[in-house]
Amino acid sequence: MSAARTRIVLSLSGLALLMVLLFMADLLLGSTHLNFTDVIAALFGKGDPGNEIIVMQFRLPKAITAVLAGAAMSVSGLLMQTLFRNPLAGPDVLGVSSGAGLGVALTLLTLTPLFTLPAGSLLAGWGMILAAWAGAGAVMLIIMAVSARMRDIMTVLIVGLLLASAISAVVSLLQYFSNEAMLRTYVIWTMGNLGNISYPQIRALSLATAAGLIIAFIMVKPLNAMLMGETFSRTVGVKMQRTRIILLASASILAGSVTAFCGPLAFIGVAVPHIARLIFGTTDHRTLMPGVAVCGAVIMLLSDIISNAPGGGHIIPVNTVTSLVGIPVVLWIILGKTGLGRKF
Amino acid sequence: MSRIIPFIISAALLISSCRHGGNPPAAAHSPVDILNVSGRLKLEKVDGATRVTVTNPWQNSTGKELIWYLVPRDSAVPQDAGEDQIIRVPVSRVVCMSVTHIAMLRALDAGNVIVGISGSSLVYDSVIREGIRSGRIRDVGYEGNLNRELIISLNPDLLMAYGVADPSSGSTARLADAGVKVFYNADYLEEDPLARCEWLRLFGILTGKEQMADSIVSSVSETYGDLVALVRASPGRKPAVMLGSPWEDVWYISPGNSYIGRLIEDAGGHYIYSDMTRAHSVPLSVESVFRKAEDADIWINPGTADRLSDILSGDQRMASLRPFREGNVWNNRRRITADDGNDYWESAVVRPDLLLRDLVSIIRPELLPGHVQYYYRKLE
Repeated sequence: MSAARTRIVLSLSGLALLMVLLFMADLLLGSTHLNFTDVIAALFGKGDPGNEIIVMQFRLPKAITAVLAGAAMSVSGLLMQTLFRNPLAGPDVLGVSSGAGLGVALTLLTLTPLFTLPAGSLLAGWGMILAAWAGAGAVMLIIMAVSARMRDIMTVLIVGLLLASAISAVVSLLQYFSNEAMLRTYVIWTMGNLGNISYPQIRALSLATAAGLIIAFIMVKPLNAMLMGETFSRTVGVKMQRTRIILLASASILAGSVTAFCGPLAFIGVAVPHIARLIFGTTDHRTLMPGVAVCGAVIMLLSDIISNAPGGGHIIPVNTVTSLVGIPVVLWIILGKTGLGRKF
Repeated sequence: MSRIIPFIISAALLISSCRHGGNPPAAAHSPVDILNVSGRLKLEKVDGATRVTVTNPWQNSTGKELIWYLVPRDSAVPQDAGEDQIIRVPVSRVVCMSVTHIAMLRALDAGNVIVGISGSSLVYDSVIREGIRSGRIRDVGYEGNLNRELIISLNPDLLMAYGVADPSSGSTARLADAGVKVFYNADYLEEDPLARCEWLRLFGILTGKEQMADSIVSSVSETYGDLVALVRASPGRKPAVMLGSPWEDVWYISPGNSYIGRLIEDAGGHYIYSDMTRAHSVPLSVESVFRKAEDADIWINPGTADRLSDILSGDQRMASLRPFREGNVWNNRRRITADDGNDYWESAVVRPDLLLRDLVSIIRPELLPGHVQYYYRKLE
């Protein structure tokens, strides 16, 4: 086994182990004090029923969501960065997150839900998620339509950025005409949350994440070819137009679904691919794809643990934690010897 | 303690203001207070006018005082009153920024002085709604999005505003620059329900209905006191009361010293966060609130829920809370409009006695058999 290969195997298993440990720590640490045996007993349905609710209804869904959201957003970011060959690209550049935000804003700020669902029905609690999904999906379709017509990928990027700005302007307008209570509700949504997701919703999020990740893993070879430039890709037989649309679909499904359930967890998608490239010392997507997924899960779990740090039941919004953890790391990479550009 | 400090500050300021500036002796400043519960509002008679002192008119303000002179239209202006401190009374054109201001004017049967309001869709009062529909009352927009030209064209004697933070850079401050009298009302910061009601007396003087206001305030506080006495006279286990509803990961908790915290205690309940003392609500994790609320007896004010199932569509885990399982969940939404205007936020400011009666009947039902709820409704 070569040295590079050993490094990859060791890093990947190390990160996987770290993920498992942090997952357990996330179950153990929270606003209310539970010790290790309490948590284990609760997981197996034994022990105090109150503890069981805390572990099974609060902490376990939150930890699972952290893993799914972290992996999905990070892989989505990786796809975007390779597709646009731009180190600053992330899941939010295409306006998918903004689209989801618009769906939520229309529902929250206008008091006229896009989806009014009968209370008590199977879909109760899904109204806002469906609104976010619809918003993200609409933007995704526009971007894919543009991408199918345009040869130049930079045009797609610019259209995405313009669309995102236009949507933000509409959201600002809605905010401008809203009262304080509605504004606060929307602002809390934008801060991201992992905690209020039921098991049926986790099932839906898992399916969407799995679909997006499977597509991404299948596209590993064309992604590697794209690193060498479009001309090279064409010469090795990559059908650019089709590949782009498939990658855009995958990235949008991942980012759109996470945003629908957890709010805009933007920064993690930009930062994690860089962190993973640094750890694994490679740009090969066969390594990066699983590496970025696990790395994203680790950082999301860590952020969730830190968000409980103030103690006494106080919490910090998880989105602010992600940014505060991620920004120093990205700065370190940019200012470090290697620099960002040479990694591409 | 927190209630004593403003009192000390205002007392100290009263003493110091009497000492310098050649004012008439202290005897001429006869306080018109009957209750003097409010720590923020002070009314004194000065040379036939009323001097109004609002202490700490917005959140986190310390030692800030705003002074106004309410001068009858035919009287001379007190000598130490500055031109921009004078409001001629009775006022005939008022713009109200809060529904509580509307409620106070309506309680005095003076709704006709209202020419503009903020957030017309959230008004409950049917007379005011009719005024909005007919165009007699105009919607002037929200703070931050005020239609200043409209306000100036309405030519109000007074704009009754409230400051969430120091408004010196906000749009209401620009209106004051343009000559509109902007009065920062601090009723919403009063933690004591009776102190909040006491602001009615300010509106009484403003509209020339001082006696009517005083008699309403007296009778409300008497009824309120009787209810508190009734509760205290029948000691028993205090049912644990939880409050509010979560939003995603966060549950904003009203502290024990808040308006609603006090009402719960006065109604004979034990508010589960009674030991928390803060100036405003605190964001806590849903997990920690859930833990604390698990074994509560009663759940009140669960957001905008009108049915038990509405709570579950926000957060399914709430089904495990004891008040939910036992169906002991009450919301303040008996009197609402189709646009979600809620009288609880409006008229209850003048009628804390009605509010307390509702809460006593929820928390200690045995004390008020046969009571029909006014603001509250049990969720099904």
